[in-house]
Amino acid sequence: MVAGISGGLSAATGIAVVYIRAAFLVLGLVWGLGVVLYVAAWAATIDIPTVEESGDEPAPQADRQTHLGAAMILLAALILVRSIGIWPGDGVLWPAAAIVFGSAFLLDQRGIDSRDFLTSLVDPGDNSMRRRSIVGVVLLVAGLSIFGTSAVPQIGTTLLAVLITGVGLSVLFGPWIWRLANDLGAERSERVRQEERAEMAAHLHDSVLQTLALIQRTEDPKRMLTLARQQERELRRWLYDRAPEAGTGSLSVLLQSTVDRIEADFDIPIDLVVAGGEVEEDLVIPLVAATGEALANAAKHSGAAKVSVYVEVSPEAVDVWVADQGKGFLVGDVNGDRRGISDSIVGRMRRHGGSAVVSSEVGEGTEVHLRIERERTS
Amino acid sequence: MTTVYLVDDHRLFLAGVRSELEGAVEIVGSAFDVDDAIEGIRETAPEVVLVDVHMPGGGGLAVIENVAETNPDVRFLALSVSDAAEDVIAMIRAGARGYVTKSITPEELIESISRVKAGDAVFSPRLAGFVLDAFADTMSAPLDPELDQLTPREKEVLRQIARGYSYKQVARRLSISVKTVETHVSAVLRKLQLSNRHELARWASHRRIV
Repeated sequence: MVAGISGGLSAATGIAVVYIRAAFLVLGLVWGLGVVLYVAAWAATIDIPTVEESGDEPAPQADRQTHLGAAMILLAALILVRSIGIWPGDGVLWPAAAIVFGSAFLLDQRGIDSRDFLTSLVDPGDNSMRRRSIVGVVLLVAGLSIFGTSAVPQIGTTLLAVLITGVGLSVLFGPWIWRLANDLGAERSERVRQEERAEMAAHLHDSVLQTLALIQRTEDPKRMLTLARQQERELRRWLYDRAPEAGTGSLSVLLQSTVDRIEADFDIPIDLVVAGGEVEEDLVIPLVAATGEALANAAKHSGAAKVSVYVEVSPEAVDVWVADQGKGFLVGDVNGDRRGISDSIVGRMRRHGGSAVVSSEVGEGTEVHLRIERERTS
Repeated sequence: MTTVYLVDDHRLFLAGVRSELEGAVEIVGSAFDVDDAIEGIRETAPEVVLVDVHMPGGGGLAVIENVAETNPDVRFLALSVSDAAEDVIAMIRAGARGYVTKSITPEELIESISRVKAGDAVFSPRLAGFVLDAFADTMSAPLDPELDQLTPREKEVLRQIARGYSYKQVARRLSISVKTVETHVSAVLRKLQLSNRHELARWASHRRIV
């Protein structure tokens, strides 16, 4: 309890720790004899292996003889001190011993499932538990009633009856309720774990497993690559970006979803690299739209194996480069019906105070550079 | 032929890389976990180690740190699906000569290995983006201007790499030699490894995956 002496004795003898504590408690009533013994044992702990006080350790089980012997020794010790004369009186000590050991019997619930406690009292199958419980209750009631009638008659009987009932009930049901609460807690955390597993399984099923199945049925290696890349990105977001950012309209988030969409539509891998922080809201939409248009053009016409997007946000401006290493074209040569570049990209950027420069070389690839100056309030 | 050692806990991926590299480099060994890798690299003393960033038992970082103590000549190229800036920067600061993602083509990977063997740095577009982000001008005054800032030319080279161009293309676009491009990126790598700017660590831990 204090120095682990009871636990150590329990481990050494195989007697459950509650009984040893009970013995110390009873001896303690004999003018502190138990306390003296406890301290003496503590001083001599070199011989006694002390163990951690944990209730569910597989302690060695003492047999009936050991228990009987230990009980005899305790009884003899009590009678001995009584004859010597260190004795607080028969009316106090015997009932007290009965109460202490009765409680000990009830507290000793080794190997018993808490929810079966009540049934074990009436269930003929579980003998040892039932015996312990009955002996405990009998000792407790006997001790309390003797104590109540002989030792402290001056206390109001009603108060005493309430007290006795309270003590009796708490000793009877306390450990059981405590264990029940413990079990409930364990059950709840287990359920939370299971729910998390279920959620993860559901997510993996809807995303990764579906994509894997799709990949197995796909003949086209380009399509396979796109599926794998999309799934990778989605899974990564799910794993690492648990809480979606507050500003879901931010440049990098919107660009990423545009990139995802074009990758899916055109089966072409797109590398997106963003350097720098956030951008004013009114610049985001035109930039994302123009980038999307440039990407779609590259995907449709370049014939390149992949497209790269690099975004740099500096205090002065936002720059976006969309580059492919495809077949390229002569910039002056674009037909009038290819309105994508002139309207969607150049026109859009101009309307928002920015610029778009398209450079291309036949056989080398194409690059679109979008730029919007940021208005500086300083 | 360049001697190469492979470290990756994903056996399937390891097998794939092995078959892609066969013939182009000499693979002297491979390992699936950190302890085997450290032992194997010390035994075979390869020129280049291709190392995965994320592995149980300390990851690629533990491999680099342990081997660097005994075999300072071994050069590392980090190869990972991870795009997390803090992981990438940690590998570079521990001594890796470069970082490429697993989506790299076999040809690019072989070129990267020979570049690392020659002592040059290998910057993927994403790594270039991370570095430009980390060394952005918006940060407070540098402690050591020599190490804590990039020169305009270095920045220009990094921007080209971030835009997806190979070293050769960068050289042509900027009208400089490939050797000069390599000099610039090696200087950037050195700054990454030696820079004291405390923002670098803070930046890396705050940076999220795009």
